[in-house]
Amino acid sequence: MNLVTDEELMLQVRSGEGETLGVLFERYHGPLFNFYARLMGDRTVSEDLVQEVFLRILRYRDTYQPGTPFRPWMYQIARNARMDHYRKTPRLETFEPDMLPPVAPHDSAQQQQEGALLHRALMRLSDEKREVLILARFQELKYTEIARLLGVELNTVKTRVHRALQDLREAFRELERGARKNAPSAAPNISLGRAGQ
Amino acid sequence: MKCEQIAELLPDFLRRGLNPEQTEIVERHLAECADCRDEVAVWDKLALLPAAEPSPAARHRFEEMLRVYEAGREERPTPRLTAPRPASLWAGFRWLHSPLVQVAGSLALLAVGFLLGAGLNRGRSQSDDLAAMRSELSNMHQMVVLSMLQQQSASERLQAVSYSQREEQLEPQVLSALLHTLRYDSSVDVRLAALDALSRHAAQPQVRVGVTNALQAQQSPLVQVALIDQLLEWRGPDAVQRLRSFQQSPNLNPTVRERTEWALSKLQ
Repeated sequence: MNLVTDEELMLQVRSGEGETLGVLFERYHGPLFNFYARLMGDRTVSEDLVQEVFLRILRYRDTYQPGTPFRPWMYQIARNARMDHYRKTPRLETFEPDMLPPVAPHDSAQQQQEGALLHRALMRLSDEKREVLILARFQELKYTEIARLLGVELNTVKTRVHRALQDLREAFRELERGARKNAPSAAPNISLGRAGQ
Repeated sequence: MKCEQIAELLPDFLRRGLNPEQTEIVERHLAECADCRDEVAVWDKLALLPAAEPSPAARHRFEEMLRVYEAGREERPTPRLTAPRPASLWAGFRWLHSPLVQVAGSLALLAVGFLLGAGLNRGRSQSDDLAAMRSELSNMHQMVVLSMLQQQSASERLQAVSYSQREEQLEPQVLSALLHTLRYDSSVDVRLAALDALSRHAAQPQVRVGVTNALQAQQSPLVQVALIDQLLEWRGPDAVQRLRSFQQSPNLNPTVRERTEWALSKLQ
């Protein structure tokens, strides 16, 4: 494979070839959409924010410096767009996601159930922890890149990932217990909790 | 080794960033410690969260944005709206019949406004820029709505109407375009959606007048009924008179006639 790198494409966009942004859109509108959807749980807002990111990339293309890794640069814009969104529309305290994770047809029933529980558990984390976990797990960013993105030390990122995972584990266990209580006849055989829980 | 010490290694372990020696230390600990094991398990399980698919319209909306943005940029050196260069986007609208021409003009005006705004902001600091940028972005989105309202495909026009509903305040040009859509769009669905979108902007006199006027010209019974309901909801001073004169229209669909009578009975 001889793919043109993101950075080469972005330099073309910068030098005035706006239509090249279409290739970057093709590569990243899915990951960006999932970044927002997992973080915020709202499809409509996520789609709007993705559009906004690409609009801002166009608008700020002159500020892209050669040699800058594209992905972290793009996520910086994505985070700013989200913060601006919250400044405009403050989030509600009782936050409940409006979207259930989509179901992939090949998943087993148990996996689907675990996926749904996990999604709910993720939504219970603080915004800061959810974000760092999503960045580390899904957005193909190195810890050093995340550190630069968040403006913190490398070790802080690692500690946050660890703490976020601890919280996620607890939230998942709690939901899992609830799910068992509510459906005793069809108790899911979820392997995360220890025996007797 | 204790959990706290393992915790330092765990994030790198999860991403397979440890050397073989360190990996072995962590694995040995995991074999004994259920809590840490669960932490790794929950990381692995995150793979079960399937990727959500963005809607197929996203691509189209992006292309529209790109087109509008780049076309606006071409206009930048000589923003003379009356004589666009033949190669520009705006030239394509010139031979379109009125009132689409007005819409195109509005689009160009918005584009120039957007770009002037962009130019003015060059000298400011980034924090000062925020409010201005937000309004620019809103303008940009509204330009995309305007542009998409003129697409061939009804589903794209429907998308445009639905995007317009995400903005709290709409530019007068966008409201005009929606009113035009309400009257003349070839698709009943798009007309109904336009009415729905416009009903949110009832505070604008332009909208009330336009929607009220749309009733007489409307051919589809579905849209007629929706317009009657809207007039009833607004209870404007001329609603009764409008409905009465509409009632006199020849060849009125019986259901629509019934609805008109019902609405009149409610208003009187």
